Amino acid sequence: MENTANKRALQIRSVISVLTIVVLWEAVARAGLASPLFLPAFTTVLAEWWTVCADGSLPSDLLTSLFRAFAGLFAATVVGVLLGIAMARSRLVHWMFDPVIALAFPSPKIAFLPIFILWFGIYSISKILLVAFACVFPIVIGTYAAASAVNRVWIWSAYSLGTSNLALLFRVVLPAAWPRIFAALRVALPVSLVTTFTAEMVGGGGGMGATLMYSQRFFESPTVFAYILTMLVVGLVLDAMMLKIQQAFPAWHGNV
Amino acid sequence: MQRSDRRSVFWSPAGRIVPLIVICLIWQAVSAAKLVDPSFLPSPVRVGYAMYDLLAGREIRDNLLVTLARAAIGLVLGSAAGIWLGLMMARSERFRAYAAPIVGGTYSLPKSALIPLLILWFGIGTATTVCAVFLACLLPMVVNTSQGVASTPRVLVWGAEALGTRPREMLLRVFLPHALPDIFTGLRVALGFSFVLAISSEMIAATNGIGKLIFMYGENGAYDYMFAAIGCVVVVAFLADRLLLVLTGKCLRWHESTVSQVAS
Repeated sequence: MENTANKRALQIRSVISVLTIVVLWEAVARAGLASPLFLPAFTTVLAEWWTVCADGSLPSDLLTSLFRAFAGLFAATVVGVLLGIAMARSRLVHWMFDPVIALAFPSPKIAFLPIFILWFGIYSISKILLVAFACVFPIVIGTYAAASAVNRVWIWSAYSLGTSNLALLFRVVLPAAWPRIFAALRVALPVSLVTTFTAEMVGGGGGMGATLMYSQRFFESPTVFAYILTMLVVGLVLDAMMLKIQQAFPAWHGNV
Repeated sequence: MQRSDRRSVFWSPAGRIVPLIVICLIWQAVSAAKLVDPSFLPSPVRVGYAMYDLLAGREIRDNLLVTLARAAIGLVLGSAAGIWLGLMMARSERFRAYAAPIVGGTYSLPKSALIPLLILWFGIGTATTVCAVFLACLLPMVVNTSQGVASTPRVLVWGAEALGTRPREMLLRVFLPHALPDIFTGLRVALGFSFVLAISSEMIAATNGIGKLIFMYGENGAYDYMFAAIGCVVVVAFLADRLLLVLTGKCLRWHESTVSQVAS
């Protein structure tokens, strides 16, 4: 009983905290404490958000960006999961790729953007490949850790029951490692969004980031805020979805 | 790791460089065979010459130092503020209730999206970059610190109390040391973010810095120099990450997690 009351109090405080910020923002802007160029009122931003939604520019930018982010993430998942499992199963593959990953993992991937633009132009392909490049390392590392931790007894049992190598991959290793692979995907998803937005901001070529920079250059502050708020909401919604999927895993996965 | 002496040769530091050399050789072969236009893919030899030229001159050193200084200032300020906020969130129920939705809400926001705003507010230059790095480093530190402090076992607290630790000493002697491994985890994430944010904000708007330099070489068509400058960034980021790992090992020598980490 006390617990639910506590939870309710927490929720109320959360709402109060967010509301306070919005009200303060509105008050500061309306009182003229900050130039509307630097801080447009929250209601102005909402109105602008509605306008860019209604004329279709925000939804089409969002679709472009999401397409790039998901295409890159998908490519990174395919390559990353296969490579991670290969590294866990074969010492030669591990020896071959480990130094590359050790060197590339901490590097800021956005620094490679000029190379991707040089090779693949400024539109979707260069962004998708850069996103894949940025996301593949956390996925490989997560998959490698997950596949290395698969219970040996299961693998031996499967072999002794006559399972082939390919069937072992799909029927033992992947199912057993899947929850931890998914955890790595949950890390990679925001990376894909950040990389897409940043690459668009730096390199142009359409999408949320490009329009954001474009609006900033023309000092259309309400549009800048509307786009940033949209990015915030998209990130929140996608992460909440990933969390829901993660929680929906069968209970026995919990202790893998 | 090593199962036999024959294997350990492969896993020695010299053995681990071999795959990188193999990649460079393949790259050189692709260039030499003219499979791709050499102006789009300069050979490793040309990139090597460019890198030698860059390292001999002042250009890369000055710009790299500017970027590193910006990243470092933002990282230090961001982690100091992050540790403080994380402590507050873990120790005060009320503070957490108010701060948690803001932290949770902004955690998933790409911090680079704030760069246009920061340009509006602070103009083009160091302030914008430092601010972007600060914001990016803040959140992982807050989340990790508060997690580490909040998970302090009651037994440790009771033990310290029984031994006469005063409440105001508890913070420094019990809670922070317990959270130290988590703080270092956060710091490693923040270090990576600091490079990404510093470089991308320089690529978007700056008059100097390595991000600007890379972009300038690209725009001028000096691709061998562009590759060399990117190579410098990769090496510096790698070294910084390794340095932090060594520091973590030194600071957490007393911690049980270090024993297994050092082994791997």
